[in-house]
Order: sequence, then structure tokens, then C-alpha cells
Amino acid sequence: MGAIRMTQVTALVLRAVATGHRYGFDIMEACGLPSGTVYPALRRMDKAGLLRSGWEAAEAAHAEGRPRRRTYTLAPSGREALGEADAKLAEVRRLLMDLGPTPVEEA
Amino acid sequence: MITGARLWVRLVALLVPGEEREEWVEEWDGELAAHGGSVRHAWGALFDAWYLRRDGWTMEGMLRDVRAAVTGLVRRPFFTALAGITLAVGIGANTAIYSVVDAVLLNPLPFPDSEALVSVNHTAPGINVPILPHSEATYLHYLENFTKLSAFAVFSDDNVNLVTGDEPQRIQGAVVTREFFDVLAVPPLLGRGFVQGDDLEGAEPVAVLGYGLWQQTFGGDRNVVGTVVEMDGVQRRVVGVMPEGFAFPNETALWIPRSIDPANAEIGSFGLLGIGRLAPGATVEGANAEMQELLLRFADAHPEEITREMMAQIDFHSDLKSLKDLYVSDVRQALWVLLGTVGFVLLIACANVANLFLVRAEGRQRELALRTALGASRADIVRFYLTESLTLALGGGLLGLGLAALGVQGLLRLAPAGLPRAPEIGMDGSVLLFTLAISVASGVVFGLFPVMGYARPDISGALKEGGRATTAGKERHRARSFLVVAQVALALVLLVGSGLMARSFLAMRSVDIGFQPDNRLVFRASLPSAEYPDAASVKEFHRALRERMAAVPGVLGAAQTSAVPLEDTKSASPMEPEDRPFGENEIGPLVNIRQVTPGYFDAMGIDLLEGRDLTEENGADGVRAVVISATLARQFWPGESAVGRRIRYQDADEAWEVVGVASDVKFEKVTDDPAPLAYFPMINGTSEKPVPTRQIAVVLHVGSDPMAFVSAARQALKDVDPRLPMVNPRTMDAVVHDAMASTSFTVLLLGIAAGIALLLGTVGIYGVISYVVSRRTQEIGVRMALGAPASVVLREVVGQGMALAGIGVAVGLVGAWAVSRVLTSLLFGVSPTDPLTYLGTAATLALVALAASWIPARRAALVDPVEALRAE
Repeated sequence: MGAIRMTQVTALVLRAVATGHRYGFDIMEACGLPSGTVYPALRRMDKAGLLRSGWEAAEAAHAEGRPRRRTYTLAPSGREALGEADAKLAEVRRLLMDLGPTPVEEA
Repeated sequence: MITGARLWVRLVALLVPGEEREEWVEEWDGELAAHGGSVRHAWGALFDAWYLRRDGWTMEGMLRDVRAAVTGLVRRPFFTALAGITLAVGIGANTAIYSVVDAVLLNPLPFPDSEALVSVNHTAPGINVPILPHSEATYLHYLENFTKLSAFAVFSDDNVNLVTGDEPQRIQGAVVTREFFDVLAVPPLLGRGFVQGDDLEGAEPVAVLGYGLWQQTFGGDRNVVGTVVEMDGVQRRVVGVMPEGFAFPNETALWIPRSIDPANAEIGSFGLLGIGRLAPGATVEGANAEMQELLLRFADAHPEEITREMMAQIDFHSDLKSLKDLYVSDVRQALWVLLGTVGFVLLIACANVANLFLVRAEGRQRELALRTALGASRADIVRFYLTESLTLALGGGLLGLGLAALGVQGLLRLAPAGLPRAPEIGMDGSVLLFTLAISVASGVVFGLFPVMGYARPDISGALKEGGRATTAGKERHRARSFLVVAQVALALVLLVGSGLMARSFLAMRSVDIGFQPDNRLVFRASLPSAEYPDAASVKEFHRALRERMAAVPGVLGAAQTSAVPLEDTKSASPMEPEDRPFGENEIGPLVNIRQVTPGYFDAMGIDLLEGRDLTEENGADGVRAVVISATLARQFWPGESAVGRRIRYQDADEAWEVVGVASDVKFEKVTDDPAPLAYFPMINGTSEKPVPTRQIAVVLHVGSDPMAFVSAARQALKDVDPRLPMVNPRTMDAVVHDAMASTSFTVLLLGIAAGIALLLGTVGIYGVISYVVSRRTQEIGVRMALGAPASVVLREVVGQGMALAGIGVAVGLVGAWAVSRVLTSLLFGVSPTDPLTYLGTAATLALVALAASWIPARRAALVDPVEALRAE
């Protein structure tokens, strides 16, 4: 397990999971990122314990005539990490506001 | 239904570590099914799989493997040392030879834009003249008309007596045309190069100094530019100093401009080497075609000197080629052969180490089976093995690099003096890269052998105590046998190669060189034309010097010549017998020329077959007499006596009378066929324009150690002219030795390589047979308990070793036969398919194989049946 660097991708993926997107491709679409970026992020966070993975019920899948789908849900430490990321983001926003509006360049 | 996307996922799944693979495929299948399964979505599966694969191969995991490999290697010091040293020798030999190949053959010449530099000369294979340079007239003709060269210059070597203090010194100089430095595009460090006007008759004499000469003789004084220095009796103004490292063409330290008077340009005397720089966009082929066109125009413009028919007869044509090719052509082949040879040695070394690893893997069956049982995948085991072999190979490579650094020092000491670009040889980035590459390659090669046999360990068999007679065992035995056969075959090829070179060397040593090299001291001297302006003064000098040298106590004979045999001096001219002149378009043989004083044949130990020696009265300024070699006599007057006949040369009205015929000598290379040679007196040329010989070699025939006479000879020279330096005193034996140096160098290196190959091959055979015996101890014990005599066991085990060696020898003989033709141009007096060498080598290897199998076979025959059975 071990700490995991909070990047824009991990924050986006965590938020997508937190807002109820459970399946890989759904998360992918919610983030607007390609699968080649989302999946390694999911694996990393799964391994680090921020996410919890499982499988949907087999009956539901069989009813629709397709294989089971893997599900991803937020683990407590993931919720914590997301909170920290949000706080950091708020801090950055506050710092930016303190600097005042972007000055207009004089000709 | 399997869609394209699902097929893709299954393909990519091969990357995913085994234990995760099933779920992984299921996950992707589920998503693709739920989302219509477009290929666009599936693309990311590759990155996902790659991520999972890499996750298993983290830096941490790799470091853990390396640590485990190092620990494992350290725990078996004997195995590790044997394998490591074997590899270090193989890799070191390759690195050493490669660093030479890299510097001499691969690196560009050290000039700006050196790819555009070309050698601009002619060739005449019809009369066996590979490089036919320029005369003053051809130079001017090309200079005026070339469009595909942006610069063109000619040069010739010239030794210069430089007087700065009391001691004169002799400097390797070059006389060059004005554009010389422009062609090479190297600007002077101080002052200037040559400019228009420097080369005019009557202009102030100037010179450009080399960096080393400037540092040593002038103390690096920047004010040297503008000063006047005496060179060869001429006061020359120093106008520039070249930067460090610039010594073109020939370790040159001093450059003097050549003045050519267009009105009196020599047409037929070809002694000026040409270099040029291709114009932007021009190719070597295009420039050569232009040169050939210009050459034909030159011939047409000088019909009295040269005609197209004559050119066709001797196959005289333009030869414009890359300057680098010209410089390294002599050693190219020998170097590639050597690199190939050490490549073979490395292969043999790899085979040996692979064998060690195979034997070792056998002993680690249980360990691996345990790992597999604990969940290690095939990929994990391959990785583990490769980490171990690569660690060993890189360690061996590092050690090899050290060996190579020492080896290169040794090579440079042994290398023949003529090895071009020797100062550039060293370890640089590309050599390090090469060493890294061959280390990794050998690590993979010998690491893969055990992997192929053992990555799928037979778990149940190995875990059971004593599980040994498996079918996989047979496979591995085959692998070992294959390695031994390969080793023997490679060693045989190398032994045949070195045997052929050694026989060439012996043949060279037993060649009749035509003179007596023992107890002869030779040195060179150069008479400045300012002090010796005419034939009379030169002639007087030669008489006085000979007299003074002969008076030195212990000297049995003394004489001077333009060049002693086997000294690298080329001088030749067409000649014809006066009584049977050649036809209109017929060209006589190009006859080599030496100038000699009376007493030369005696002093050098050359037999006079007929007639007499030259006398003091002979010369272009006196009675014209010449001594010719037996070959020339045979060519001009076959079956008749040459003495009393006359030879035409230079001036048809002034023929030279043959007064003697001398036996043939090897005068250029030991391996040359006898060639026509004429010995003229020291005053050559015509009565109207006598040409005195000012560049001379002095020969002393002495009673004992020639080098002991150096100081007496120096004093004698000083007595005659205190301002003449004595240059390069050495024994005639040393001259002969140097002439064979490049062959003895190749022989030595090939011999070392073949010796290593033989040793490694022997160790290989011994190792495999020993191993087979140790595996069969139980079986042999049973058979001997049942009454099989020791001699049968002995014969059987030896037979097994000899069978492998026999196949190796057979394969090797075919290989040697195929490979040895690359040696053809390096061989002398022996055919590349010389049966004696082949049979002798095969017999040697067979004997060695016999010995290598005999020792373990003896051990097998001495097996105590009771002990052998109890061991189980």
C-alpha cells in the first residue's frame, strides 16, 4: 500500500467514483479521459487502498446476456484523500483570488 | 462472438502477469460488452496491460533480483571467478581490438568535413603500381581544370636539417603546394599558411612549423613567427605555426612551399601525392570520372610523352577515392580479421559460461521447483536467470575493460611502426558502448541456454529426492553437447587461421632476401643543397665519408646508397636495352632505381653474379656504368650475358653500360617477387644535368655488435661534416625485422587468440565429460559390480568425449575451409587450404580432447561399486 501522488488524473477519477460512477468505462466517460489513462490510475488507487473493487452480481449480467462488470467504489481513505484534494484546491483558489484580477498588459 | 476488440484484448492479455490474466480479460470483456465494444475504447487495454506488467517489474523488484543474483554469485566464488574471468578475457580481447578498429577504420579523419577529403592520384595495375602520383605537369593540368574539387594540392615528404643552435636536427617535413592547408581546412594556430607568391621562384623562402616542433625547439615562443631559421642551408622565414595534433601527411613537423615553374614543369616524373576536397554537391564517382576525362586530355596534349595506347597497355587510369581509404587500406584486412577472430573467442567464452550455467542449473532444480510451487511464473524465472547472467556479464565486461586498457597499451607497443593513426587509438565513448553492447549480448546468449531447458522445471520430479533420469535431462545433455561441438569447431577455425599465419611467417623468415643483414649498421643523412650545390661537391663528400668510415677500427666495409633494401623508398623509371629498343607504343618495365657508391655490394653482402662493382670514376659526370639485378638482366637479355650491354634511360644519347650483375634482393617487401632493379652511381642523370644523391643511407659492415659502433660512426660523420645529423642508426637485422613486423604482429595476436580458444575448448570438453561421469557414477558402479571391466568403462567414456570432439573437428574443418579465404591476402608461401595445417590442427585438437576426456574417464574406471551404490 503506501501513499499515492495526487495528480489531476487521480483527483478526477476519484471524483467520478465519488459521484456514483461504478464501472470502468463509465468512469472513463465521466472524466473525459482515454481508457489508457483511466485504467492504470484505477489499478494504482485500487492497490493503494483508495478504491475498493468488486464484481456486479452475476445474475444481473446473465439477465442481459453479457459478462460481469467490475465495480469500483470509494474506500474511506479514498474519501479522505478526496477531501484533502478539495481543501488544497480551495487553498489554491483563495491564493489566486488574493493576487487580484489578472492585470491587463499595457501597450 | 469474438469481435475485433475482444480479439485485441486477448492478444494484449499475454502481457498481463499470469495470475491476474483471467480476471483482467473478464473485466475488459464486461466493459466492452456493456459499451458496444468499440475498438477505440479497447485501445487503452494495451496501456493497462503494460502498466500491470511493469508493476511486476518495478525498479525495486529489479534491484531485489540483482541483489539476489550478486549474493548467489558471491556464495559460489569458484564458479563466479571462472565464469567472470572467462568472460573478461573474451570481452577484453574484443574491446581492445575494437578500440583499434574504431580509431583506425571507423572514426573520421581529424579534419573539418573530412568526408569530403579525397586522395587524387592514378593507378597502373598493369605494371603493378597501385598508386601512381602526379608530376608537376599533371598537377598544373588538374589544378587548372578540376571543377568537382574545391581545392587540390600535391605534396611529398622531405627531411629537413634544421639548425637552431650548435646541434643540427633532422625534421620530418613535407614540401607542399600552396593550397595544401586549404584542402585540409585547418587554419594555422599562429601566423598564416601559404599564400599566392610563396610558391614563386625567387620569392622569400618561408616555412610553417608544427606544434610539437614549435614547443620543443622554439619553446612555444609566439614571437617565432617572422624570425628566420636555417633549414637545409637555406634561410627561411617562419610564417605560421599549425595547431596541436596536425601532422599531415606523415607525422610531419614542418611544411615548405613547393615552387613549380609552369614553363619548365616536369611531365614524366611522378612523385607528388595529390589530395583534394570535393566541391559542394560533388561525389567521389563524379570527380573520378572528371579526373579520368582530364587525364585523357593530358595524354592527348603530350603525345610525345604518353599516348592512350600506352595507358591502355599498363592500365593507367585515374584513382580518386576517399582519403581515409587510402590511409588505412594496408591494415584494413588484418584488423577485420583480428576483430573476427576475437569475436570467435568471445563466442567460445560464452559457450563455456553457458555450460557452467547449465551444470549449475542442474544443481538448482530443487530451488527452482520450490519457487515455481510458491507461485513464480515462467517469466519470473526467466527474469531471475537473465538478471544473474547479465550481472555476471556486466561484471565480466567491467573487468574486461580493465584488461583491454592494458591490452591496448601492449598492442601499441607491439604494433608495426606503419600502423596508421596509431596516436588516435584509445578508449572513447563508442568503445565503452561497444563493450556494454557485447557484455549484454553475451549475457543474454549464455543466460538463455539454461532458461530454455529449465524455465519449466519438472516440479514433482525435482522435489522428490534424487529425481534425475527425466526426459528434460536428455534435452539438457543435448544442449551441453551442442555447446562442446560448437566450441571445438570454433577453436579449430581459429587454430587453422593462426597456423596458416604462422606458416606464412616461417616462410617469410626463410625467404632468401639476397643480402646479409647480420653485423650491419645503417643510418641516414641528408646533404643540404646549399652546402653541396653541385655534383662535384656531393661526389667529393661521398668519397671522403667512405674513406673516413672505412678507417674506423673494426669496420670491415663501408658504403653509401640512396636507400638500403626493405627501406620504404620508391624510385623507378622506364628503361630499355639499347640493342633492342621497344616499339612505338610499347612500354618497357618500370625499373627500380638505387644509387650506390663503390663497395656497396661488398658492405651489404650482395653477391655479384657477373662482372664487377662500380668505381669512383663512374657517374653521369664521368664514365656511365650501372650494375643491374639478375631479374633485369634476364628481362632485357634472356639467356645471354648482360655485361657489356647498354641501357637507355632518361637521355637516349647517353646510354649506361652494364658492368655487373648482382643477385636479386628483396628491396621493398620480404614477400615481393624479384623485381628489376638498377644500381646507378651516386651521380645520376645526364652529363648536361647531373643529379647528385643527397638523401643517403650509410652502411657499415662490422665485426661485432653493430650498435656498439654508433658513437664511432657519429664521430666519423662529424669529421667529414660537423653540421650533418646522424639519423635513425639501427642494425640491418632491425630493418628486416620491421619489414616483417606487420605479419609477426598478426601472427602473434592470432596465436594468442587461438591459444585462448584452445584452452577454453579444452576446459569445455573436460567439464562436460566430467559432468557426464559424475551423473553416471551410480550406473557405472552397478555395471562394474556386475563384472564390466574397467577398460570397457574407460573406453566408453573416452569414446563419448572423442565423439563430440570428432563432430566438432569435422564441422570446424569445413568452417575453416570456408573462412580461411579471407586470409588469402595476408598469407605468404602457403595456400589458404594448406592440408598440412588442417591435418596438424585437427590432430592437435583431437589429442587435447583425448586428454580432456581421459582424466574423468580414469575417475569413472576407478569407481568403487560399493561406494557408488551406497552414495544413493
